[in-house]
Formats: sequence, structure tokens, C-alpha cells
Amino acid sequence: MLEIGSIVDGKYKILNKIGQGGMSIVYLAMNERANKQWAIKEVRKDGVKDFEVVKQGLIVEIDMLKRLSHPNLPSIIDVIDQKDNFLIVMDYIQGNSLKNKLDEFGAQSQELVIEWAKQLSDVLGYLHTRKPAIIYRDMKPSNIMLKPDGKLTLIDFGTAREYKEKNLADTTCLGTIGYAAPEQFGGKGQTDGRTDIYCLGATLYHLVTGMNPSEPPYEIKPIREINSSLSSGLEKIILKCTQRNPEDRYQNCAELTYALEHYEEIDDIFRKRQKKKLAIFIMTVFFAIVSLGAGIGFGKAAEAKTDEQYEDVIAEANSLTNEDSIRETLKKAISIKPGDKEAYINLIESYYNPQYGDENDIYNFSVDEAQEIEEILNDFGSDLKENKSNYVEVSYELAKAYFFYYTYGNEDKSGDNENAKYKAAKKWYRNVIDYSDENIFLYWNESKIYYEISEYYTSIGDWENTGDFKGKYIEYFNNYLQLFTLASDNKKINNDNIKLRMYQLFSSAIAAKTEKFINDGVLIEDIRNLLHQMQTEINSIENPDSNLESLISSININNKKIEIKLQAMSGS
Amino acid sequence: MNFLVSASTDKGIKKNTNQDSLAIKVAETTIGKITLALVCDGMGGLQQGEVASANLTLAFSNWFDNDLPQLLQHGIEDYKIYQEWNQIIQTENKKILLYGRQQGINLGTTIVAALFTNNRYYILNIGDSRVYEIKDSIRLLTQDQTVVENEFRKGLLTREQADNDSRRSVLLQCVGAIQNVVPEMLYGNIQKDAVYMLCSDGFRHVISTQELYEHLNPNVLISKEVMKQQSELLIELNKSRMEQDNITVSLIRTF
Repeated sequence: MLEIGSIVDGKYKILNKIGQGGMSIVYLAMNERANKQWAIKEVRKDGVKDFEVVKQGLIVEIDMLKRLSHPNLPSIIDVIDQKDNFLIVMDYIQGNSLKNKLDEFGAQSQELVIEWAKQLSDVLGYLHTRKPAIIYRDMKPSNIMLKPDGKLTLIDFGTAREYKEKNLADTTCLGTIGYAAPEQFGGKGQTDGRTDIYCLGATLYHLVTGMNPSEPPYEIKPIREINSSLSSGLEKIILKCTQRNPEDRYQNCAELTYALEHYEEIDDIFRKRQKKKLAIFIMTVFFAIVSLGAGIGFGKAAEAKTDEQYEDVIAEANSLTNEDSIRETLKKAISIKPGDKEAYINLIESYYNPQYGDENDIYNFSVDEAQEIEEILNDFGSDLKENKSNYVEVSYELAKAYFFYYTYGNEDKSGDNENAKYKAAKKWYRNVIDYSDENIFLYWNESKIYYEISEYYTSIGDWENTGDFKGKYIEYFNNYLQLFTLASDNKKINNDNIKLRMYQLFSSAIAAKTEKFINDGVLIEDIRNLLHQMQTEINSIENPDSNLESLISSININNKKIEIKLQAMSGS
Repeated sequence: MNFLVSASTDKGIKKNTNQDSLAIKVAETTIGKITLALVCDGMGGLQQGEVASANLTLAFSNWFDNDLPQLLQHGIEDYKIYQEWNQIIQTENKKILLYGRQQGINLGTTIVAALFTNNRYYILNIGDSRVYEIKDSIRLLTQDQTVVENEFRKGLLTREQADNDSRRSVLLQCVGAIQNVVPEMLYGNIQKDAVYMLCSDGFRHVISTQELYEHLNPNVLISKEVMKQQSELLIELNKSRMEQDNITVSLIRTF
């Protein structure tokens, strides 16, 4: 155990502990002369059985690792052999592990996963082609760091092969040994590069589906059984990587990289699109002939024709009263001009706004509706993205629908429901944040706050498990205040329904955890102030309908609860 | 229903510590006698393996003493037992997980817990410890949650391949090592003049089911003393056949 603040090897000052594994601890250290931060991995000799036996192998392997140079690997710059420990000095990688990203956001987007897959296949290929070949053996999301620039780094590198052999005499739990390939369990079969290909396949599976192959149902299914909108090309790649028999997998990373670069060509949808493109081409030719007859330039005519047709269909949708026919018509409009935002925005609104249903309908956005729009955006998202501002607006509308109206699993009232809602909202607010900025999009700041609030709800369980929530409640209270100010500004949010839903959200969150907010440093008078202002705003709403009435009464109940708790606390 | 009970455990010939934990309790209640039996097989590096199994055992034992009486007042139902036990599992799982993280070690434990009332049994299972029912024949009630058993059930391995596979000691799940644990719960009608046997995997690797039946059938187990003797005899047999693991067995004979 290195002491915090101590100086190692005369130059590295140990700043703090940043990670701990079975037999090693990782510290953040500072070379004060060079003013540069490093990570130092301490391998304790007493934690390793038969250390002398593995030591030689360790030294040889580290020497070899020191000579590696690849953009996706940390550089090892120094190895210090001390009496009780081995210190490996290497690049300090800033960023987040893909495991954290999975825990936080669930399944990752397909485009991102494929981009990562290429980087990982590339670095594994580099390792496998060293002489002698280096097999990584421990590919899993917690060993992959995502740097702020989007590049990945493989970590937990530089431990000898001996450490990574799975000890099978003892009982172990699947969840703790990563995505071991069948041949990694000793006995039959040697591990080689194809073992890494298996683990990479399992990692990609986890990333793109959000399902851990080490958890029920303990298998790697075709990914489209989990999310039908995923690519069949990627599905084939993952299945091929994770074949039981190494002979049936990609035989080396070059083959895998090639497949990843061409995944769309082995994709069924790609084939369909090719056919669709042909159909569009034939249509265009047809219009061209017609318009030539009329003496108009043909490219413009086709475009004008599409615009006109699109406007007509949107107008038709606006004139309809039946909810289902409106949606079908809007979907038709989207397929005519998938790059325009209007049809998407109307469609999203038709899902949750009761105006589109019968009179007794209430505000809600159902699971089936969410699935439908997600699929539509998956199919046409790339067209929509061609105009960033359109994409941002649609993302904002969808985020809002999730945040305020999503009714996933409403009947059971469990935390799952809330979690699903905020997780989905977070993803779309994230798009707003990423694809625009405060100078471009009016609701950018607001989206950022909603994002933070969603983040709060999705991670609250984690803090409570780890006990690490100091400062979080106060941070979120401040977010509430900001949102509140925004909500009260009628120019920004001119919608009583949204305003009240927001108040309801604040009041129920504070009512549920009043003590925690106070203990974290939120002042009692600040909470009272907020409640008071809320009341003033509510009173100013004219002629609330039954939807609004029920929101108001729920807010009032929450606020009463809070007041009782506050009185109890200020009394003591 | 009446119960005769016994329990035995041994650290075996190889390991320095006994990471198995067990508990067996009988209570006289308003609805007759009730028995709780459990076996937990702890795992984990160095001296820490028993932390997980002992804590979980204690939690169930406390449930029996403190919470079961309340449950009895409202009437026992299958789903209520499941709810309360699942709650214990989830709480202990988080505690052990957190402890492991703080210590920087991987630890965990299997569990079979069985509650026997006048007419019904309730069994919770996570991992590869087992419950057998022995009367006219011997019947395995639980299903091992191991990688190879899973592959056998899916038809990917034959029984023989599964028994010899190098991954046979890899569990699909256990308490305290992974985020999400889903207990398997079994319910059934209890048989009179039968023996219910709970054991850790160390008890049954090198002993055939025929041998188990011969030594532990209800015609043989006619007193507490005999139950104890037979358990110890089989433990010694295990050791003489070079079993490496800790060995634990609990017996409940109904009459």
C-alpha cells in the first residue's frame, strides 16, 4: 500500500487511489518536476501466490509491453521493482469506462458501437501480430476507457498471463470472470487470438443490446431478437465472433475489421434500401418525362413535386380527426420527405396530446408509441440528421414526450417506470445538447437542465447503493430552481400542462427525500420559498381543466407533506 | 408434521478454512412445527469466503426468529415467503457486493434455504447447493445454476460431457458477486416419512445417488443419532475419495 503524499522513486508523488483489483491498486501520481500526471499500478508481492515463480514472466512481459506503441494502448514508461511491490508507471487515462457508460445509459447506439468495434479490432490485431503474439484475454467494458476525444484505450494491461488464468479448482461466479470464451476454462483447447475475438464479440453484444451475456438468460442471442431495429449485418458479425468453436469464428482481426467496415453490405436492410433507391429512381424518371413535356427543368420539378406532395399529405393529416388515420398519414409524409421535421413533430405530439384522441383521453405516451417512433427514427434518422437543426428539434420534442408523458409500466408504480422514462428522455436531450448549442437552439439551456434532472433520477439508485451522494442533492435542488425560473417565464414555456408537470416532479422528489435535501445543505427557507412561488404560479392559472386540476391537487398534497416534514425538522 | 433434524459440516482435506455455513431451526407454532434449514457455500479469495456465507445464514436465521411469527399471524402463502426471502437476498447481495468492493476482493455464496411447515415445503435456490427428497426413491428438487447444467438443458452438452466439462464449477449466479440476482423458488407438498437433504456441492461430487439413497433413506434414518452417524460416515467416505472441497449436509426427516 503506497502512502498518499509519499514520493516514489524520487520523482512520483502519490496523489490518490483511483482503482483497486484483486492483487493490485492503481494510484494517480504526479511527476512534479515534469508537471505531468501518471497512473501507477502497484502489484503487491504478498498478494500473489508463488510470486517468485511468476516474477520472471512478469518482467519479460512488461519489458515487451514497454515497447508497444498504439493509439489505443496506454504507454508504460517505467517499471520499479521494490521490496514488497512492483510499480508500473503508465499513462493516466482520463475518461470513463464503457462499463460506466453502460450502467448509466444502457444500450449504446449502433453507429457508436461499430466505430468502437473497429478501434478494438485494430488494437487487438496489433497485439496479435507482435512477435511473439500477445493475447489480451480480458476484453470487457470495464477494461475499455472512453477518452473525451472519443478514442478508446484498453486498460488493465501489463499484468502477466499467469494472473489471468482462470482458477477452476474453486467455485466461481460467471459474472465475475468476464466473458470468458469456452476454451479459456483450461483443459481442452489453447487460447489464441480467436479467444480475444470471442470476448470482443461478447463485449459488442453487451454494448449494443445492454444485455450482459453473463446474466440471465446467459446466452448471446441474435441481437435483433432484443432490438429489431438493429442491423442484421452487425448481428451476423457478433454471432460469428462468439461461436463456441474457435474454427467457426473470424480467424484473425483483419477479417473482423473487414467485416466491420462492410457491415452494411451484409445487412438485409441495406439490400432493401438498394431496392427502394431503384424504385425512387424509376419514379424520378417518370416525373422527368412528364415535366419535360411541360417544358420545365426536370431536377427542380421532381423536387418541387416532392415538396408539394409532402405539403398535401401534411395538410391532409391536419384535416383528419381519427387518431389512427392522422398517424398513418403523417408516417406517409415522413416517407415522402424524411429530411423534414414537421411530420415527425406532429406525429410525436399526436402520441401524447389528448386532443388527438377521444374526449376522455389523457396525456400519455405509451410503450408501443415510443417503439414506433424510435423505429421510424432509426430508419430515417440519417436523412433527418442531414439538417442538424431539424434533428435537434425532433429530438427535443421526443425528449419532452418521454420526460413528461411516458407511461412505461405505469400500472406497477415501481421505480422501474421512472427509471425507463428518464433514461429515454436523457438520451434524446443528450442529442439536443450534442447537436446544437445555446447560440443555435432556443431550448438548449433548458434541455441541459432536463438532462441533468434525468441524470439525477437514473443515478439516484447508484448513489444510494454506494453511499456516494454528498453534494448531489444540493446540485439538483439548484437545477430545480433554474428550471423553475425558466418554467415561470411564459415566453419560454407557454404551456400550463408542462409547467404543472414540472412542479409536480419537483414537489414529489422533494417530498420523498426532504431530509436528504436538508442534510445535504439545502436551506429550509429555500424550499419554503420555492413552494410559495409555486403556489403563486398555480393560483395564476385561469380556468384549469380536469387534467390540470388533478395535477394541482397532487402538487398540493406533496407540498403539504413537505411542509409537515420541514416543521418537524426546524422544530428539532 | 414432526421433524427429526441433524446437520454436519467438515472443512475437508484440502482447504484451510471452512467457507460453508449452515443453520437448522425448529419452532413450535400455532400451525404446528416449522423447520428452517439452510446451507450456504461461500467462495472468495484468501480468508474472506466465509464472510458471505455466514452473513447470509445469519440473515435467514434472524428472519425465522423475528419475522416469521408475524407472517404466521396473517397466514403463510407461497408468494409471501417468496417476497420476504427475495427481499433478504437483495439486501444481503448489495451488502456483500459493497463489502467486496471496499476490500477489493471477489466473494460470494450459494444458498439453498428450505422451510417445512405442516404440509408444504418452500425452497429458495441460488447456485449449486442442492435439496433432495428421499422416500421410496431419491429425487433432486433443485436445479443447479451452473454454466454446464444450463448448456446441458439447452442440449449443447450431453450429461456425460457436462459432468466432465472444465467449467463445471462456474456458477451462473451467486449472492454477493453480481448486481442482479434472481432466486429460484420451489413449492410443494411435503411427504410424511420422507427425508429432505440439503448439501453443498462438496458432499455429492464423488458419492453416487445410489449411495446417498442407501445411507439416507427414511427406513435407515430412524433417530437423530443415526442421522448424525450416517452424515459423518458419508463425509468420511467423501474425504477418503479425495474430495477437495468443504463438505456440508443437513437432514430433515418427517414423521
